[in-house]
Amino acid sequence: METTVFRLEGVTKRYGDLVALDNVSLDVGVNEYVSFLGPSGSGKTTLLRVIAGFETPEVGRVFFEGRDITYQPAHERGIGFVFQNFALFPHLTVIGNVGFGLAHGKTPVAPAEVDRRARKMIDLVGLSGMEDRGVDQISGGQRQRVALARTLAMQPKLVLLDEPLGALDANLRGRMRNELRAIRERLGVTFLHVTGSENEALAMGDRVVVLDRGRIIQSGRSDEVYDTPASPDVAHFLNRFNLFEGRLADARFTGPFGSVAAPVARRSDRDIYAVRYDRMRVLPAQAATDGPALKATFVASEYLGSSIMNFFETADGKVVEMEHHLSLGAPDTYEAKRDYILTWNPDLAIVFGREGR
Amino acid sequence: MESRVLKPILAVYVAAFLLFLYGPFVVLTIISFQQGPEGGPQFPIIEWSTYWYQHLFGLTPPSRIAPLPVGEALVRSLVLAFMTMVTSTVLGVMAAQAFRKRFRGANVIFYLIVLGMMVPGVLTGLGTSLLANNIIGIERHWYSTAFASHVVYTFPFAFLVMLAILNRFDASVEEAAWSLGVSPITTFRRVTFPLIFPGVLSAMLFAFTLSLDEFPRTLFASGRDQTLPLAIYGTFSVEIHPNIFAFGVLTTLFSFALLSVYGILMAMSVRRARKMAMQEDIT
Amino acid sequence: MADLTASVPRRDNTTRLLLLPGIIWMLLFLITPIAMIVYVSFWTQTTFNISPDPTLASWKQFFSSDTYVGSLWTTMRIWLIVLATTFLVGYPTALFVGLLVKSKTLATVLLVICVIPFWTSFLIRVLAWRPMLGKEGAINIILLKLGVIQQPIEVLLFTELSVVIGMTQIYCVFMVGPIAFMLARIDRNIIEAARDLGAGFGRIFWKIIFPLSLPGVVVGAIFVSVMVLGEFATSGALSGRKVNLLGNIIVTQVGSLKWAMASVVGVILTVVMGVVIAGFLRIVDLKREL
Repeated sequence: METTVFRLEGVTKRYGDLVALDNVSLDVGVNEYVSFLGPSGSGKTTLLRVIAGFETPEVGRVFFEGRDITYQPAHERGIGFVFQNFALFPHLTVIGNVGFGLAHGKTPVAPAEVDRRARKMIDLVGLSGMEDRGVDQISGGQRQRVALARTLAMQPKLVLLDEPLGALDANLRGRMRNELRAIRERLGVTFLHVTGSENEALAMGDRVVVLDRGRIIQSGRSDEVYDTPASPDVAHFLNRFNLFEGRLADARFTGPFGSVAAPVARRSDRDIYAVRYDRMRVLPAQAATDGPALKATFVASEYLGSSIMNFFETADGKVVEMEHHLSLGAPDTYEAKRDYILTWNPDLAIVFGREGR
Repeated sequence: MESRVLKPILAVYVAAFLLFLYGPFVVLTIISFQQGPEGGPQFPIIEWSTYWYQHLFGLTPPSRIAPLPVGEALVRSLVLAFMTMVTSTVLGVMAAQAFRKRFRGANVIFYLIVLGMMVPGVLTGLGTSLLANNIIGIERHWYSTAFASHVVYTFPFAFLVMLAILNRFDASVEEAAWSLGVSPITTFRRVTFPLIFPGVLSAMLFAFTLSLDEFPRTLFASGRDQTLPLAIYGTFSVEIHPNIFAFGVLTTLFSFALLSVYGILMAMSVRRARKMAMQEDIT
Repeated sequence: MADLTASVPRRDNTTRLLLLPGIIWMLLFLITPIAMIVYVSFWTQTTFNISPDPTLASWKQFFSSDTYVGSLWTTMRIWLIVLATTFLVGYPTALFVGLLVKSKTLATVLLVICVIPFWTSFLIRVLAWRPMLGKEGAINIILLKLGVIQQPIEVLLFTELSVVIGMTQIYCVFMVGPIAFMLARIDRNIIEAARDLGAGFGRIFWKIIFPLSLPGVVVGAIFVSVMVLGEFATSGALSGRKVNLLGNIIVTQVGSLKWAMASVVGVILTVVMGVVIAGFLRIVDLKREL
């Protein structure tokens, strides 16, 4: 059974006139991995800072392990924090960083014990042999692991990660992602992870929480959010959907691709038609189709490892993306500046509108 | 094209400027080697000698010219400068640390502190001596009233130096320490202070040298025991002799020694950083 | 289950505790003394004594005395002259160091060279002008040797001129530093862009360089003003007591235990300072320039 380890109740945080968090409530279970996704300025980082105790909310309560910690100072909370820039102590060695909390924390630990536990932690993140290096003498990925080891050495029940992979290059990021997952499975810690990358959010999190302008606009299992975004904004932030404007009336959506039956629509203040990149199909310009048909010119394609992304441009300058998973077979090739027709199965599209439920 | 003309002209100008800046010092050095005890503090040089240097240390046979009363004054000045340095640096670090947060009345307090370096020394000195003399009725001493005035003067410098340093300080390392369960006080001692130490060193240097050479405040606020600048000022009213110039040369050399120590300390921390960077290249 | 005891906002007193010692120090040893000067200026002065009976006598005495009022005008005159000379001497130097020197190392070396004289005691630096400017001083000897003059120039020492020369040398570095600092911060691309558009150096200077260096000029002017207005040592040592600044009056009054008169002069000096600094601070926000 999943029990709540952490809870936010109606948290609001302002900076002057700017509302960074607007009445945010959230429950997080033991050993859960939650990813926060949202554009910059959506309040993700503020949320983590409130949880960590670096900021105090104006309204609302923060509970951790059943205690109200809203006004508890950061150093008494026992919540780990891994910074985007790692924030290592530049004047200390690797082992000095990892053992810092043990050596100078509230409950004194004997130096020999600090050393032993720090070494064990360094071993866990695979940095054995680098104990006495200065933190300026190691690579970016190694610094990230020191930051993680430093936090995990305190055995926190809850670890907050503020875009810790953002500063790494794509290759390292992938490897660190795997390592984070492995560490978490080994130690059984609850992770809250802020990220600006939808791939990271979907790949890492059991649960994805989407934030926009200080509010939670969707929260759910990653595949659920991926398959059924709750609003056009979520679909937009997921960066996985082509969004078309148009008009929803009498269970039909009329857009640049013609008029298509839309028996199921979600309620929204805007009429938006969303099709996932990998649901798009390409037909020759002359082909006839009774489904949606969008005229577009092929621009370019990009190889993404497991798939190929094809970019098309419609007459009014909108870029439409079509993703081809390589597991489904060899990709077709398209000719640049040539017209094509884009279509899809209307049952797989997601429709938002004032008419929806 | 213009700068091709302008640059040489300005280079000559700067050379003249430096001559203007250093001229008196060159003359002072030359005259400190005047023959003694008859030779006065003017040209021409009768004969080159180190008489006035020996005179300073009491190594010359007694003559009608009394030795400069600098021995005890020097010790007093050094002690006073040290006290001032420690106090104003502590106050400066504390105040600058407080200014990292926004708080009400920050502007007023900022200017209250900065006022200390803006108000002329005569005024602080006069006011302090009035307060001690006519209201409280205590005796003035270099280690009490003058010390208080010195800190009023040097604390703003230390504060501004530390403010500039802390403005550039990355606060996330402190938050990282807190999130590891380390209290703010221990965090300051173990993280913040070691990292801002070069700045603290600069603030200390500032405070020490300003206090060592402080004159107007000391003139009013200290009692009968003279500090070094007061001893030198005492010679203004009587006839001056080249011994004061010899003394000037020596104090300048002493200042350089002090500056060198500071420079070496700084260079050491820079070299350590560079060494680390080099090792990073190797790995 | 929830422990409700921990849910009160805690007051954070750290900021207050950190500021308190500094504030108390400044209030006790800066604000109170200045208030004292104002207070004592209304005290009654007898020959060797002073009593707190309020009177305007010292104030009347100040404004009815040519010597005292004269010293106010002398102070203002010397201040304006030295402000001008330090600017004229300092700005071109700062322009060279801060803008025209391409190498950062050379610029730093030049600035250090400018600061080095400060490591000699202020009073000895003042005294060193005597053998420099005197009738048989270095300048006269050199000029005579070069045949520029036949007779030694006598007005060099113990005149207002010698005071101005001495102060200019001692304080010009306070102009050079801030101006060079502001000039060094100017983005060279702006100047290059202006040059590409065909602007001559004069135009670039007046339209771009000078306005951008203005905060430095103001900061330098504040430094110089603060020091010159409170001066008395340079004028005492180099004018042969002919130039009496407000500071000199204060020193002599205190010397003869005329505390009330010294305080009156102190109040006047405070007012002058306040007006000057407030005026400069209107042009530039000191806190922002840090």
